[in-house]
Amino acid sequence: MTGPVAQQTSGSNYVQRGGSGSSLADVVDLILEKGLVIDLYARVSLVGIEILTVDVRIVIASVDTYLRFAEAVNRLDIAHDGTSQGLPQVLDGMQESGAKKKTKGALEGASERLKETFGDSGDDEDSEKEEQSSRRRSRRKEDE
Amino acid sequence: MTTPTPGSASQPAAESAAGQAAGHGPQYVYGVTRSGAALPADVAGLEDRPVRLVDGGGGCAAIVSDLPGNRPLGERADLVAHQRVLNALVEAGTVVLPFRFGSALTDTTAVEKELLADNTARFAEALDRLEGRVELRLKATYVQETVLREIMDAEPEIAELARRLREVPPDIADAVYYDRVRLGELIAQAVTRRRETDGQVLLEAAAPAAEAVSPKPPVREEDVLDASFLVTADRRAEFERVVEELGRTHADRIRLRLIGPLPPYDFVPEV
Repeated sequence: MTGPVAQQTSGSNYVQRGGSGSSLADVVDLILEKGLVIDLYARVSLVGIEILTVDVRIVIASVDTYLRFAEAVNRLDIAHDGTSQGLPQVLDGMQESGAKKKTKGALEGASERLKETFGDSGDDEDSEKEEQSSRRRSRRKEDE
Repeated sequence: MTTPTPGSASQPAAESAAGQAAGHGPQYVYGVTRSGAALPADVAGLEDRPVRLVDGGGGCAAIVSDLPGNRPLGERADLVAHQRVLNALVEAGTVVLPFRFGSALTDTTAVEKELLADNTARFAEALDRLEGRVELRLKATYVQETVLREIMDAEPEIAELARRLREVPPDIADAVYYDRVRLGELIAQAVTRRRETDGQVLLEAAAPAAEAVSPKPPVREEDVLDASFLVTADRRAEFERVVEELGRTHADRIRLRLIGPLPPYDFVPEV
């Protein structure tokens, strides 16, 4: 542990770095909900901002989140179903068999989804519609 | 990311050059800095409009551009522009008091008088408090697979339900829809319980290297911690080392993401 390596800011194996030019998804809530608010007579009221703030707060409906977890657990089991190991053994096996690679993939998937929600692709409307229709789908299922 | 090179953008020429054409009509305010602060030369505001400093005469200046007039504000590009302007100052090591998105005043005179002249003392005090400090945001997320295994291992009720559901043939999966929801709900609750402990561990480890902390409520179930830290320049390397060490320690189950330096959005004074 010597030398200028510590000065490096591009991240490491353990901490992912988002520099100050980081993606909008990383800071959008700060821009909209933090920062100094001016309340002056001469303030120009800007139509649309309040609505936008609400949109950003949209959290995926709980049911969808639950189904996502259920699905993840299901996948988890299938991946190691060939052997009839008990869970502790599966756990041991996992640590040896490149668990890191797989979990990284899953995590990237999650952050992709987040980016879609926050319109990181510049395609806000589409992802919004997508989200709404997926919520509608799950609601329909509930009604059955 | 490059290290900011001090002195690379210290010509206030852009200000006066742009001042001729710009400055009439409504002004969008990005933030407040000190009078005479150097604006990075090539920074563009909303719709790429030139960014200027409006001096209030009391030691503070507003960072402004003309407000695009013919449409509601709030498109993605607008948010990006707001952030880009403030970040350019942060990168250059200039202290800035960031405003919330969507602050605009009727004209330049209102910026000088109502905003700056009337609030000089307040702004100066806030700038003093933020001088030489940056905001760093730490987001921690569970490695989903690992934490799911922990839960299956530790909570037999959940493991049993998962096992039962796995045996249901796909063609009648709809019949157990509510059971799948229930399974997911139990898992979500279990994750939340773990987060309370794990999030606290991370927060307590990182906080001593920072001057102030602003934790935010986690949004997604797999979020462990989302907190902003106000860090002084001379302790930034130390703070980053602490985070790095946390990342190493928890690498098997928690992923860390460190964002910034950011304008100190979370540490502006209450109005």
